[in-house]
Amino acid sequence: MAREILPVADRAQVRAYARRLTLKYPRQLGLALALHALAAAAGLVAPRMLGDLVEGLAKGRTDLRVDAVALAIGAFVAAQAVLVRFAVYASSRLGEKVLAELREDFVGRVLALPLSTVERAGSGDLITRTSRDVDALSRSVRHAVPETLIAIVTGVFVVGAVILVGPVMAVPSLVAVPLLWGATRWYLNRARDGYLRENAAYADMTEGLAETVEGARTIEALGLEGRRRDRTDRDIARSFAAERYTLGLRMVWFPAVEFGYVIPVVATLLIGGLLSIEGWVTVAQVTTATLYVQQLIDPLDRLLSWVDELQVGGASMARLLGVADVPDDRVTGDTRPVGEELKVSGVRYAYREGRDVLHGIDLDVRPGERLAMVGPSGAGKSTLGRLIAGVHGPGSGSVTVGGVPLVELPLDELRGHVALVTQEHHVFRGTLRDNLLIARPDASDAEVRRALEAVDAWEWVAALGNGSGEDLDTAVGSGGTAISPAQAQQLALARLVLADPHTLVLDEATSLIDPRAARHLERSLAAVLEGRTVIAIAHRLYTAHDADRVAVVEDGRISELGSHDDLVAAGGAYAALWDSWHGTAR
Amino acid sequence: MVDAEENGLPLDLRFCDAGTTMRSLPVADPGTPDARGPLRYLWWVARSQAAPMLIGAGLAVLWWLGQALVPAALGKAIDAMAARDAGTLLRWSAVVLGLGVVQAVAGVMRHRFAVFAWLSAAYRTVQVTVRQAARLGATLPKRLSTGEVVSVGNSDIAHIGNAMDILLRGTGAAVAIVAVTVILLATSVPLGLVVLVGVPLMAAAVGPLLKPLHRRQHEQRDLQGDLATRAADIVAGLRVLRGVGGEQVFAARYREESQRVRQAGVRVASVESLLEGAQILLPGVLIACVTWLGAHFALDGRITPGQLVAFYGYAVFLIAPLRTLTEAADKLTKGHVAARRVCRILSLEPEIAGGGGRFFTGEGTLRDGGSRAEVRPGRLTALAAAAPQDALAIADRLGRFAPGDVTVGGAPLADLPLAEARRHILVADNGARLFSGRLRDELDVRGTAGDEDVRQALYAACAEDIVAALPEGLDAYVAESGREFSGGQQQRLRLARALIADPEILILVEPTSAVDAHTEARVAERLGKARAGRATLVCTTSPLVLDRADHVLYVEGGVVRAEGTHRALLETEPAYRATVTRELTRGED
Repeated sequence: MAREILPVADRAQVRAYARRLTLKYPRQLGLALALHALAAAAGLVAPRMLGDLVEGLAKGRTDLRVDAVALAIGAFVAAQAVLVRFAVYASSRLGEKVLAELREDFVGRVLALPLSTVERAGSGDLITRTSRDVDALSRSVRHAVPETLIAIVTGVFVVGAVILVGPVMAVPSLVAVPLLWGATRWYLNRARDGYLRENAAYADMTEGLAETVEGARTIEALGLEGRRRDRTDRDIARSFAAERYTLGLRMVWFPAVEFGYVIPVVATLLIGGLLSIEGWVTVAQVTTATLYVQQLIDPLDRLLSWVDELQVGGASMARLLGVADVPDDRVTGDTRPVGEELKVSGVRYAYREGRDVLHGIDLDVRPGERLAMVGPSGAGKSTLGRLIAGVHGPGSGSVTVGGVPLVELPLDELRGHVALVTQEHHVFRGTLRDNLLIARPDASDAEVRRALEAVDAWEWVAALGNGSGEDLDTAVGSGGTAISPAQAQQLALARLVLADPHTLVLDEATSLIDPRAARHLERSLAAVLEGRTVIAIAHRLYTAHDADRVAVVEDGRISELGSHDDLVAAGGAYAALWDSWHGTAR
Repeated sequence: MVDAEENGLPLDLRFCDAGTTMRSLPVADPGTPDARGPLRYLWWVARSQAAPMLIGAGLAVLWWLGQALVPAALGKAIDAMAARDAGTLLRWSAVVLGLGVVQAVAGVMRHRFAVFAWLSAAYRTVQVTVRQAARLGATLPKRLSTGEVVSVGNSDIAHIGNAMDILLRGTGAAVAIVAVTVILLATSVPLGLVVLVGVPLMAAAVGPLLKPLHRRQHEQRDLQGDLATRAADIVAGLRVLRGVGGEQVFAARYREESQRVRQAGVRVASVESLLEGAQILLPGVLIACVTWLGAHFALDGRITPGQLVAFYGYAVFLIAPLRTLTEAADKLTKGHVAARRVCRILSLEPEIAGGGGRFFTGEGTLRDGGSRAEVRPGRLTALAAAAPQDALAIADRLGRFAPGDVTVGGAPLADLPLAEARRHILVADNGARLFSGRLRDELDVRGTAGDEDVRQALYAACAEDIVAALPEGLDAYVAESGREFSGGQQQRLRLARALIADPEILILVEPTSAVDAHTEARVAERLGKARAGRATLVCTTSPLVLDRADHVLYVEGGVVRAEGTHRALLETEPAYRATVTRELTRGED
């Protein structure tokens, strides 16, 4: 079964983007091109002088100023070298600038991705795009783009020089153009899809490798060594098939191109030679033209070989730009919320078309109340929580704060109203402080400490610095001090305390913390969050017991809603649940 | 797409006839890598694909020679032209064409073998890394960060592939340089000497630039590596960022690091551009010298005008192989760095080793001497620990993930081969992960269960609704680490997976921590039946699960303080009651 992966931009989009980027800095680009042009012109002197020398020698002249010619050749080569130095530097500077913009744009787009899409595409696809495709594009921008431009500039100058030598000498050099043109078109028409598939297969392979590494303990426990080996080998086989296809394309294109290089040399030599025997052109013209046509091979080869790489870069760019093609689930409006009342009305939602997870939910959350959502796994509690936090937009119906749909609020504003903490935990690479300041960069250390105390985390955090007072500077995340999942959940909650929105959605936010510690934590958290609206999705019944109201979610609907005591008295599903929990312990 | 694929295939076959058949990749057995050092590793990789490497190098030599000999033929043709000899001109033009054909055919075949060598080296490295990761198991996450190992997949394998490719091309380039030198020496000793002395001088003259270049490249690579880690970190934490905000902070941080990479790139470019200039200047000086000497010889009549053009041609030609040699130095260095990282992973050893004894199936009681906890066959044992880390430590010792005084059937567990111990004792904790693939395959990881076994396990784990909600049911594709499932769903699927594996001894650590009370009660009820006749240990403090256990161990301070049934312990052990009912008693105050 094919997995849904993130979209890939089409050719027109890639071209338009590339054009915009190329023309963004016209002065720097102009300077670089001018320097390259001068360098190319300086490189054209030697063959011309050599041709004249050969002509003179062939005529048996003895008055040739050999030393001066050699000196001149040396001088022009030196000039070319200096020009190339500055030309390369100028184009590299420009390239680095554009490249930085490209990857920053990309990360900006990733950070704006609708969450639902990220979850469905798996992080492997996105990770490959951020690593391999950014790398491939770097190679293109650093090398392929400038090389191509240089090749074109140089090529044009060489052709111009051949025409200057003698317009008639330019004719034989053109005989291979149809061959080069046809073969390259044939190749390019097929190459793009081939390279896209190659990249995708490679992504699968690295994703598989990452899975093996991250799940190494599970692999050992379940004895999955053989299966992981097989999976790797299958991934490799698929990658190989894709590589083999593009190799097959090159097996046609390369020989055609190589013939295309040698034919003009032979043609110029032979036809020019015959013409010179007839006395129509001079030996100098033929020699110079032959050397020029030979000199044309280098820019042409660079051009064609980098076109290949440009394609790879283009394919990567298509994948990087494709991230922006994910339709936004958020259309920012102009209205601003009045008040802080959260209202859910007639909400339906489906992850897959036609399979609603929520079937028309109505819920008014009173400002400042603690609402617990309980219900069997898979009933839609988490989905509802995400809708209330404004992460997803509802399929139909509305979720509003102060009368404005959450999905119409700009993200920054949304976070001031609602924040979500899930059981998903991730410790970012950086210091502990960095991890906490994500939501509020201007918080002081004292505030950070208070937030940590509110989630019962200060004790272990203080222990990290060994009493040095630098505990918040401890490096955590990949490569840093190990943080347990339970501690990571505490950090996530502390982050939320710092962010201080008026409504908090806690989706099993303490599930990884030991039940006894979790209860204590929830209580101390409640004290800090006094006056805030808290919506807690809970699988532990004491959370419901401690809440102002309890909503029972079953099969995508709210089946019961009321205070704990009311619901127990009502004798419905919640009462049964409470009894099954409470009764057995008695 | 299918058409194109079919078009590609006959081509492949046609070229296979011309040389050695290109084997299909991956190889079934990548072999045992030599991880004693990066050079040894690269040598091992090259050796294990010796045939394509040698053929590829041979083709590269042919390809380069095809180019190197063109000036000679060109010179002859020009002489013929000057002598107005059309027949000779035609003959030498034909030779130029022939050399072109050699270049084209040898070139494309060389490319074919180079690609094969590249892929073969890269795939082999992936294979040995995966095999090593699987062999290290639980040791791996303790010793290396994920990023370090994943960088193998993202860049190191490419660098190792590049090293193989450049070995082939570099060999050809070196041979071409030698060939041209010999031709020049044979024609004119002084000219030959100029080239013979000039070429190494040119290589040496570039040398001083290489060191700062590599230093700056290294710096750039490090910064770029950090940047890539930052990007991967953002991707991994995207859900969190979207939940709490902070996108702007992270975008700013990324921008800052990206600009640092840009500056490093410009610093590299300033040296690189000098190198580019030098690579034109140095051969240019050589070209000028050769032209000057040659012109004098031609004036003296010692060589023909055509030979002068040939000399000029040789000097120009030499630029390309020289560049290849510079490229070789660079790529081999990168390959060396990449190989070092691979070696670091390959040289790790599992922390826990197995013995050579045999496992006595059936009546073996599993016993942890440190805590005096016992898991008996045919019984559902529960372990409630006052401190949760005690339960984890005991589970790790019993499952032989940590060293300890553990016996099974009276024999030390440490004496058993590790694979044997793993097959009979399964520790299923909440850190375990689901793998991507078809759901049915990912649940029945041992591939031994029938449909009825799977159905029953799903029933016992209360996971039937998860499967029912999937359009393709058990054939559905599980995304990476089961991300599409909620935490509670993942936990139930993991439990089902452990039950389907059906080990003789199953150790479950907090198997119901993420499911709701309703489901938890049902799982507790069904677990005993699903594990009938087997030994099971459940580490939990949930009264629902404890109530359903045949036997309960209460652990405090790392040792079993009391045991019995849940209800008996509730009555007789106040500490136990405090541990398992603390949340309830507090709830009622």
